[in-house]
Amino acid sequence: MKFTKRTYLALLSLVVLWCGGILLAPAVSAITPGVSSFLYSFYSPICHQTDARSFHLFGQKLGVCIRCSSIYGSFFLSVLAIAVTQRFSAHSMPNRLWIMLAILPMVVDVLLTFTGIHVSTMLTRVVTGALFGSILPFFVVPPLLEGIAQLRNQYLARGGFVYARKTQ
Amino acid sequence: MLEKPNKLRIALICGAVIGVVSATPGLSLINCCCCAGVWLGGLLAMYLYKQEFTEGMPPLESSDALMLGLMAGVVGAFAAVLVNVLILVTFGPIEAELVRSIAGKVLDRMSEQGSLPADMVETLKDQIEASIKDSGRMSNIFGGLFITLIVYPIFTILGALLGYSIFRPKTPPQTTLAQ
Repeated sequence: MKFTKRTYLALLSLVVLWCGGILLAPAVSAITPGVSSFLYSFYSPICHQTDARSFHLFGQKLGVCIRCSSIYGSFFLSVLAIAVTQRFSAHSMPNRLWIMLAILPMVVDVLLTFTGIHVSTMLTRVVTGALFGSILPFFVVPPLLEGIAQLRNQYLARGGFVYARKTQ
Repeated sequence: MLEKPNKLRIALICGAVIGVVSATPGLSLINCCCCAGVWLGGLLAMYLYKQEFTEGMPPLESSDALMLGLMAGVVGAFAAVLVNVLILVTFGPIEAELVRSIAGKVLDRMSEQGSLPADMVETLKDQIEASIKDSGRMSNIFGGLFITLIVYPIFTILGALLGYSIFRPKTPPQTTLAQ
């Protein structure tokens, strides 16, 4: 298997692990409260985890709020879409205008809520979060794969992996 | 040919910014929005790093963004814990008293309105008291460091890669992807 595809699969596994943890936190709360508590603590630095602003599973809130769940869920789907469309190369990245357009509705929704002009609803949180999460991978996954390949090439050029190559 | 700019200095500056933003009460609320303070720190690191490039230097590569994001995230995690401890030592008793007073008033009002039963109010007050006591424990501080050491580098790498995508040169360097 090519190095880029192996790196992509490792990345996909990490995304699955991240999204799985969000669902696992409420799912295991009745069976293993310790694991559930650790998972809630793990996601606490990145989300307010307010009960009223979260999706629920088995009567318990998810590891992160509605907006974050939408971002991570759509991020996962877009990472899968990258494999389908084979857009692994950084040269195939879309125009940078798209990321501005994707982030703008979420920023506007958050700012309007903070200023009290408009109160964000579940629909606005889901739509704006999903929009941002679905566009983001097309801008970060290709340079990530390319960056890891570059680091590997630099390491090989300095004489690294010599033992590994000899044993192959 | 000139060498690329030093990443460590930028990582230290942006790590310190991430630490201060993430640990300062009030400012840290920005991280409630998908760790925005942390990934914006990664984006800032990439912007500052790009500004350091001059003519004759090798071009900016995505591996630079990856390494810069990782370094800024690790520095940011340590800086956040350090600032947190400093705030706890300096303002700890004042902050705890403020939380105790506000939460107590809110719970009492909810109890008077009948939103919460009296025994539930007492349980919640006990939990708040326990969490105030726990906040200064070494195990909690190191537990927090363990989690931030995983989470912050992930988000700073994402921020730096996003920064690379936004600020990248129009003709990116050719790289052999598959080996």
